[in-house]
Amino acid sequence: MFRSSPTPIKLASRAHSRSWMLLAATLCCLILATCVQAASPSLSLILPRGVQRGVENKISFRGARLDDAEEIFFYSPGFEVTNIEPSASAAVATVNIAADCRMGEHVAQVRTRSGITEFRTFWVGPFGATAEVEPNSSFEEPQKIALNTTVQGIVTNEDIDYYAVEVKAGQRISAEVEAMRLGTTLFDPYIAILDAKRFELSADDDTPLAKQDAVASTVAKEDGTYYVMIRESSYAGNGNCRYNLHIGTFPRPLAVYPAGGKLGEATEVKFLGDPAGVATQTVQLPTAVDPQFALFPQDEHGIAPSGNIFRLFEHGNSLETEPNNAVAEACAAELPNAFNGIIGEEKDADFFRFTAKKGQVFDIECFARRIRSPLDPVMNLYNATGGSLAGNDDSRGPDSYFRYTFPADGEYVLRVTDHLGRGGETFVYRVEFQPVTPSLALGIPRVARYSQSRQQIFVPRGNRYATLISASRSNFGGELQLQNDGLPTGVTMHVENMAANMSVMPVVFEAAADAPLAGALIKLSAKHTAENSNISGHFKNRADLVISAPGQSLYVFKDVEQLPIAVVEEVPFTLEIVQPKVPLVRTGVMNLKVIAHRKEGYTKAITLQLPFRPPGVGTRSTVVIPEGKNEAIYPLNASGSAQIRTWPIYVLGSADIGGTGWVSSQLATLEIAEPFVTFAMERASVEQGLETQIFCKLNHATPFDGTATVQILGLPAKVTTTNMEFNKDTKELVFNIKTDKTSPAGKHTNVFAQITITKDGEPMTSRAATTQLQIDKPLPPPKNAPPKPKPMPMPMAVAVAPKPAPKPMAKPLTRLEKLRLAAQQRTNPEPAGSEE
Amino acid sequence: MTATLRYITCLALVISSTVISAAELTELHAYPSDIGLYNSRDRQTITVQAVFADGLTRDVTAEATITVADQNLIKLEGTTLAPTADGETTVSVAFGGKTLSLPVIIKDSAVTPELSFKLDIMPIFMKANCNTGSCHGAASGKDGFRLSLFGFDHAGDYQRVTREIGNRRINLAFPHESLMLTKATGAVPHTGGTRFRKDDSLYTLMHEWIDAGAVTDKTDIPTCTKIEVYPKSAVLDGQGATQKITVRAFYSNGTNRDVSHLAFFLSSNENSVIIDQDGTSTAQNRGEAFVMARFDTHTVGTHIIVLPKGLDFAWKEIPENNYVDTLLHEKFKKLRIIPSELCSDEEFLRRATLDITGRVPTVDEYNAFLADADPKKRDNLVDSLIGRKEFVELWVMKWAELLTIRTTNQISYKSMLLYYTWLQDKIANNVPMNVMVQDLLASNGGTFANAATNYYQNERDTLKVAENVAQVFMGMRIQCAQCHNHPFDRWTMDDYYSFAAFFSQIGRKSAEDPREIIVFNSGSGVVRHPVGNRVMEPKFLGGDTPDVQGKDRRQIMANWLASNENPYFARNLSNIVWAHFFGQGIINEVDDVRVSNPPVNVALLDTLASKFTEYNYDFKKIVRDICTSRAYQLSTGTNATNEKDTSNFSHAALRRMRAEIMLDAITQITSTSNKFPGLPNGARAVQIANGNTSTYFLTTFGRAKRETVCACEVKMEPNLSQALHMLNGDTVNSKIQQGKLIPTRLGEEVPIPQILEELYIRCLCRKPTEKELTNLVEIIAQEENKQQALEDTFWALLNSREFLFNH
Repeated sequence: MFRSSPTPIKLASRAHSRSWMLLAATLCCLILATCVQAASPSLSLILPRGVQRGVENKISFRGARLDDAEEIFFYSPGFEVTNIEPSASAAVATVNIAADCRMGEHVAQVRTRSGITEFRTFWVGPFGATAEVEPNSSFEEPQKIALNTTVQGIVTNEDIDYYAVEVKAGQRISAEVEAMRLGTTLFDPYIAILDAKRFELSADDDTPLAKQDAVASTVAKEDGTYYVMIRESSYAGNGNCRYNLHIGTFPRPLAVYPAGGKLGEATEVKFLGDPAGVATQTVQLPTAVDPQFALFPQDEHGIAPSGNIFRLFEHGNSLETEPNNAVAEACAAELPNAFNGIIGEEKDADFFRFTAKKGQVFDIECFARRIRSPLDPVMNLYNATGGSLAGNDDSRGPDSYFRYTFPADGEYVLRVTDHLGRGGETFVYRVEFQPVTPSLALGIPRVARYSQSRQQIFVPRGNRYATLISASRSNFGGELQLQNDGLPTGVTMHVENMAANMSVMPVVFEAAADAPLAGALIKLSAKHTAENSNISGHFKNRADLVISAPGQSLYVFKDVEQLPIAVVEEVPFTLEIVQPKVPLVRTGVMNLKVIAHRKEGYTKAITLQLPFRPPGVGTRSTVVIPEGKNEAIYPLNASGSAQIRTWPIYVLGSADIGGTGWVSSQLATLEIAEPFVTFAMERASVEQGLETQIFCKLNHATPFDGTATVQILGLPAKVTTTNMEFNKDTKELVFNIKTDKTSPAGKHTNVFAQITITKDGEPMTSRAATTQLQIDKPLPPPKNAPPKPKPMPMPMAVAVAPKPAPKPMAKPLTRLEKLRLAAQQRTNPEPAGSEE
Repeated sequence: MTATLRYITCLALVISSTVISAAELTELHAYPSDIGLYNSRDRQTITVQAVFADGLTRDVTAEATITVADQNLIKLEGTTLAPTADGETTVSVAFGGKTLSLPVIIKDSAVTPELSFKLDIMPIFMKANCNTGSCHGAASGKDGFRLSLFGFDHAGDYQRVTREIGNRRINLAFPHESLMLTKATGAVPHTGGTRFRKDDSLYTLMHEWIDAGAVTDKTDIPTCTKIEVYPKSAVLDGQGATQKITVRAFYSNGTNRDVSHLAFFLSSNENSVIIDQDGTSTAQNRGEAFVMARFDTHTVGTHIIVLPKGLDFAWKEIPENNYVDTLLHEKFKKLRIIPSELCSDEEFLRRATLDITGRVPTVDEYNAFLADADPKKRDNLVDSLIGRKEFVELWVMKWAELLTIRTTNQISYKSMLLYYTWLQDKIANNVPMNVMVQDLLASNGGTFANAATNYYQNERDTLKVAENVAQVFMGMRIQCAQCHNHPFDRWTMDDYYSFAAFFSQIGRKSAEDPREIIVFNSGSGVVRHPVGNRVMEPKFLGGDTPDVQGKDRRQIMANWLASNENPYFARNLSNIVWAHFFGQGIINEVDDVRVSNPPVNVALLDTLASKFTEYNYDFKKIVRDICTSRAYQLSTGTNATNEKDTSNFSHAALRRMRAEIMLDAITQITSTSNKFPGLPNGARAVQIANGNTSTYFLTTFGRAKRETVCACEVKMEPNLSQALHMLNGDTVNSKIQQGKLIPTRLGEEVPIPQILEELYIRCLCRKPTEKELTNLVEIIAQEENKQQALEDTFWALLNSREFLFNH
């Protein structure tokens, strides 16, 4: 972790300097109920967008709710904060930047007493800054600046900015702009270096080296004034189109060759594409892999403000030797070295011959655009005689990649070409053969698109906060254990291992009541729990900085590998899940009780979520504890295939505390179990207005004490039955179903039984499989049926027959049996008047 | 009727029928000039046409004497020859003292070939109008019977005729009871009515084919390679004059036959010439018509001019500035038209400046040009205007319309602008048009890196790309042939899908920037014919089948398309340029090139095309040729001979200014400026890069949205909302206010007449007439508010037709 200073800067005078601001904020809150004054700070822009290293800078962190800012988190070393002046909309920090601070993009965010902002980027460069001064929008009216300066300006709509520099003959003029890279807005710049006669000596719109940003460089032929022009490439600037335009005599090569080397070794490299010619340099490489590693071209005239990406690899290099333009001419290369070459001219193809062993599996990666080369590589693998084996164009963006298992010991040939048959001095590439290795990355699932919302951990004192941590495993599977490298004082992490079949896990952070208000960037990692496994991975996070058309495309983003965590001020409520004593059975439901412990006087509504749901468990997205109430029921249901296990769960609650405050419950457990008893229900059919029965066979899986109740649900309208009870010895149940003449005819397929068993005083409710109730309309009387006998005109006295004793209930016929019987009756009608 | 009356009537008839052109007979034509009879069925009708010294022609077949040299070989039935024995002989045709000898070859005169479904029966469906879209050719057929539209699928038609609904359509036992015959003759109810009678040759053919078993064609039957229509041209003297049209088909086996009875006839202008299905064309009103015959997949026409009877006409010598005038005058002579006089210098200055640069002349330019005494001043003006930046901008705009340069969901503003800039560079640097088009059509790479590839980003459907290329660069609308053979053109479905096959291997993939797409040659992909699903080999439209193995198909197509091997490219571009300066093309519309829409002056279009090729596709030179021609400098006024001519360029046409030019003109005249998105303040509407950028004014006046390649996107028709916008809208009046021209001049104490003169020159490029000036001065003198009165005058001038039209 790199931080501005080991102890955060405390600002004793903060309270009194803030008094009028608090008043304003209170007024604001009165007007706008949702106004946030303390919690949920945000950071929208770091200004200036570029700072010079080796000097003290005032950096303004602009955003909202920053008036209790306490600390700046920098994600890389070289920054020392000596003072912070907070206000609601900005925290202005005085920062000493080390002279050896890495140049280029850096990441920072602000910790306040009540939260942590998003992280944003800013750039560190070698030159002192000059602000743009309008009018400078015409060639005749340029802004004069000194060489080796960074101009900080804005290109407004249809704006063109001109800068004039005095240059001696033979001197190099280089210009490089950071605009799109700044990640502020979609700002695609165009720059040009012009001579006094207005001829464009070097101009650039997009360059592979800097993507949409531009670099230009030329050597002056004569003494005089030269002009650097910048505009938006389609004249569509706006007030957010900020740029850092470096103008100087620095080298600005477009490529480095080879673009990688062996860790810890001294490697000779050539810088290509600079107007002053090729520069050769020997560099001592670091001993640890750093994906951001770059070589900064430097000579006596200066240092380039951005580096050329350089791969650090555990093996050495094999360099191409021309001619190698055919299988027969393939140059020798040796595994496990990386193969390096340049597609030097149009239609050039580079062939490498190497030996591989049977069964070797490699991820064959061509690095070209990823090392900012103009090459759009196509890789093809051939056997020794030129038979095609594998190939790829664009699996890694424009770069190529494929995984290949070598089928036999022997020689193979790899070809690299450009997709459009282009070529040139700077079309550098490098092919790395990497053994297939397991990898693991952790993250926090996003809760909102394009947002860093809740991608930070901020735990209120004496309270809890929880998050989901996701894991993406590649090339392995298995259980994972989460680790951290040092939480702030007083913070503990509650987590269980992540099962092999899970890709998210709940993690609860708890802060002691006396934990100091402090924060840190921590390295959160996980390791494979299998014995002898050394697979591990760590947290990564991405900020989407510039999103634009077409189709919400992501233009600029920033990945970080540290997780910010802080103890923040108290929140006036805590949450507790009442630990259920019974399991949630498959097909069952459970009412999970959540209690809010409120501080005296705090009555606001609390919105609950259940972010972690075990597989097969469903629930509502939110449940609210109403204002003034202290508990709520979170209804859970389990599908028939819910995974049987005891799972950790938590409830996350948010409430208005003058800003949104977030706390979580403890890490409770939820057991998923098989239902204690299952029902097999038979189908039934009935004519409208008659009665029928539904037979159920019980299958007891787990004995239980006492009686259980069962209720038939899903019956159609005007159909009734009564609830029944049973115990662990009941084998069968029969439900009498009463229908009405108006009960809807048809097949009613959603009839099911709901069983409630009480255990330890808590109900376990499950649902038995559905059955079908068919309700038929009575058949019309046959056409030739004899007319019904008319009522006798005169009733005759008859002897009242004694009522027959009710017969014991026979098992009703199934639908099939009834149909068979009906068919039989149709074919063999009983003779009229036959006796029973 | 009394005997006397009868006598007089007869006399009158004799007199009228014997009135022949007073002019001398100069040529005699007999068609066909050589005759081949290849089996016992073969017949050949002879048509004889007399050409007189005054250019009139007459069908003299009935009056000519036709004699057969060897009557053992052929029999003459009226004007029709029938074979009797094999051999070679001649037929002589005599009329008015001239005699022609036609060679005749007779082969296989004893052989009576089986009738073929494709060669003999399918033409009946076309001739009798059975397979049109409104009848059985509809997609779902009609009344349960379907034929392929215009006969694109003969195998399918055979199947439907012979195999559907048992043996009702074809009754082999009783052929005359086949529905094919009973329906067509109206013997049973038929929604389409009676198509032919029992004594018709179509009936006989169909009956014979059914009687012979309605057998399917052998696989080696010859195919029709071309047809010829006779006579090649005709100039008819007055209403009621007739000319018989005959059609001869040529087959792949080297034979030919008279198919006049099977060909379908149509006229492009029934106001001048009507034609019946026997092939007799009859003159109507004065004018021209293209009379066409369609047989198999071929449509060929002949050009017929109708003149008023006994027209008294004398051509007078008119100077010719260049080949344009020579070729137009040749046509005028045929049409008996004297072109209008030259326009005035004022008119020419305004016309040329508007047409070449899209601007109106300034007061200084007006004064300088009128003061110039150089007899070559008009040529010099054209040269100087062509050299101006505005000339390039105007043509960039026109090309941007053809290339549909605009933003879409696929094309970002940046892509669009780069595409526009690419086009601008090409035109500004005078890159030869063929090179530019080749670069465009063969383009590969990123839509940012090589902006020409936006052409393939704009339209991603293979068939539509092919259609667009044909329409823009060859002027042809081949869309019809996607579903059926083109009824009025030569294009078949085979042609369509073979041409589309050039565009079947366009690869597209994402570039690093989400706004960019990389277009490349994917090297795989085919186009299949919907009938039979066969893979189509790429074939140039109306050209060869090149070897595309392992090559970029688009490169091969582009190299052919934009070259003189393609007969349509240079013609089409010349026609587009011509249409810009004359308001309509030599083929009109410019993107509707088809057999049935022939050029009004073939020789002129051909010459322009060959000059364009000769000039190495430098269209500035073609523009110069056109603008320095006398034809371009004609007055809009007409004379008695050309007052009704609207298509032969014998006088200048009144043309409403197009939207962009009109807005720029109003802006220029009122000394104001416009602000369009993406362009600096003061930029002209002509310079707007994006088809989607528009204003109310531009939309009202019909600016092209560039959604399609159709030339019809630019709306030139005046309408009410345009008039209302000019009168009441916020453009004219507020620009007059913004420009402050009147208060400035009043402030400078310029006298009223001079202010009026300036207004007239600014708006109309002329000084006010004496009368106008006197009247206006008088009216303004009465007004207290001089500024108001002058501004009203200004407003009135900008609302005058004289301003709104280029004349």
